[in-house]
Amino acid sequence: MASILETFGLDWVKFFSQVIIVLIVYGILSKFAFGPVLAMLEARRRRIAEGESNLETIKAEMGRAEEKVREMLAQANADAERLITEARDSAEAVRSQKTQEAVKEAQQILEKAREASRLEHESAMNELKRDFGRLVIDATSKVTGKVLDDKDQKRINDEAVGQVAL
Amino acid sequence: MIRLRGDFGVPPHPTSMAFPLSMVSFDSALPILAAGGIGAPTLPDLGWFTNSIFVAIVVTVAILLFTRMATKRMELIPGTKQNFVEYLIEFLYGQVEGIVGKHVAPRAFPLLATIFIFVLVSNWFGLIPGVGTIGFGEKTAFMSVDSSFKDAEGHYTFVPLLRPSTADLNMTLALAVVFMCVWLYLSISELGLWGTIVHIFGPKGGVQGALKWGLMIVFFVVGIIEVVSIMFRPMSLSLRLLGNIYAGETLLHTMGGLGEALGFPGWLAKISSVIFPLPFYFMEILVGALQATVFSLLCAVYIKLSTTHEGEEHH
Repeated sequence: MASILETFGLDWVKFFSQVIIVLIVYGILSKFAFGPVLAMLEARRRRIAEGESNLETIKAEMGRAEEKVREMLAQANADAERLITEARDSAEAVRSQKTQEAVKEAQQILEKAREASRLEHESAMNELKRDFGRLVIDATSKVTGKVLDDKDQKRINDEAVGQVAL
Repeated sequence: MIRLRGDFGVPPHPTSMAFPLSMVSFDSALPILAAGGIGAPTLPDLGWFTNSIFVAIVVTVAILLFTRMATKRMELIPGTKQNFVEYLIEFLYGQVEGIVGKHVAPRAFPLLATIFIFVLVSNWFGLIPGVGTIGFGEKTAFMSVDSSFKDAEGHYTFVPLLRPSTADLNMTLALAVVFMCVWLYLSISELGLWGTIVHIFGPKGGVQGALKWGLMIVFFVVGIIEVVSIMFRPMSLSLRLLGNIYAGETLLHTMGGLGEALGFPGWLAKISSVIFPLPFYFMEILVGALQATVFSLLCAVYIKLSTTHEGEEHH
C-alpha cells in the first residue's frame, strides 16, 4: 500500500499542505462568498415574498377603493339626480308662482286700467252732460229769450241729461 | 520538444511521454534553475512547495479574489460579477438541496460547492497553454536551455513549472479526506453516534419481529462491508479525479508530440503539435467539468446516504 502511494507521489508533508489549502478555500469561501450570497438570496426572496404580499394587499385595497369609488359615484349620481329633480321642482314652483304673480299683477293692472278708464269715461260723460246741459240751457234761453232761473235751469238740465242717458 | 519521463515503475527513457506523478519540489529544482542559466529564484527552500501546490495557491487566490470582488459590496440589484456568483451559488445550492435535502443542505452546501468550484477551476487551469509544458528539461530549441535535471541513468527528466493541482494525488486526497471529515461530522451530528452505528449495521427496509432478528447477522455483515466501502471512499474519490486529469494531461502532451514521434518533418511536426491536440482540448474541457461534477455529486450522495433517517428512506 505504502509503495503504491509512493508510486502515485503521495507525500504526507505535501498532502497536509494541500489539506491546509483546501481548508483555507473552504473557510474563506464559506465566510465571504456562500454566506453573504445565500443571505442576499434569502433577503431578495423575502423581499419578493413581501412584494407579492404587498401586491395582494394593494390589490385588495384597490378593489375596496374601486368599490368605494363606485359607491361614491352612485351616491353622487343619486344626489345629482335628486338635486336636479329638486331644482326642477323648485324652478317649476317658482315659475308657477311667478306666473301666478304676473297674471295677478297683470289682472290688477288691467283692473286698475279698467277702473281708471271707467272713471275717466264717467268724468267725461259727466262733463259732457254738464256741457250738454249748459248748451241746452243756453239754447233754450236764447230761443225763448227768457232768463232762466236756477230752478228752470235745473229742470231743463235734468231733462236734457235724462234724454242723453236714454 | 520536451522530453518526458516514464513512471509507474517504467524505466525512464528519453522518448517516453508521460509526466512523473511524483511532484518535484522547488528545493530540488533550485540547482537546475541555477544551472540552466534562468537565474536562481529567491524562493525559500521549502520541501512542500511544489509546482502543483503553487498552482493550487494561484487557483485559490484567483477564486478568492473574484468572489471577494463580486461580494464585497452586495446590492439587491446585482452587478455582472455579483449576478454571476449568485447564479452559480443558487444553481449549486439547488442541486445540493435536491440531493441531500432541505435539512442538511445549509451545512453540506459550503463544502460541496467549494469542492466543485475548486476542482473545476483547477481542472481548467491545466488547459491553459504553458501549464505542464513549460519547465525544466533537455534543450530543444535555440531559446531553450538544458537543465541538469536528469535521472540516475543520465536521461533528461522534464519537470514542469506549473502542474494542475488535481493531477497531484496529494491534492485530490486532501480534498477527499477533508470531505470525509465533514461527512463524518454531518453524519454523527444528524443521526448521533449510536444512530450512525445503527444506520450502518442495523436492519434496513423496515423489517420487524422475528425476521428482523433473523436478518441481524446479515445486516451486520453488510455493515462491515459498508465500513470497508466507506474507508475506500477517499481513495476512490481521489484516484478517480487524479486518473482522469492526469490521463487528460498525458493525452494532450502525447498528441502534441505525436508528429515528432511519427517521424514527421520539422515544420509538419510543429503544425501537427497544434492540430492533433485541438479536439482533445475540447474533450478535456468537458472532462474537467464532468470530473468536478462527479466528485461533488458523489460527495453529496454519500452525505445523503449517511444522513437519511430510517423513516425517510421509505418516502
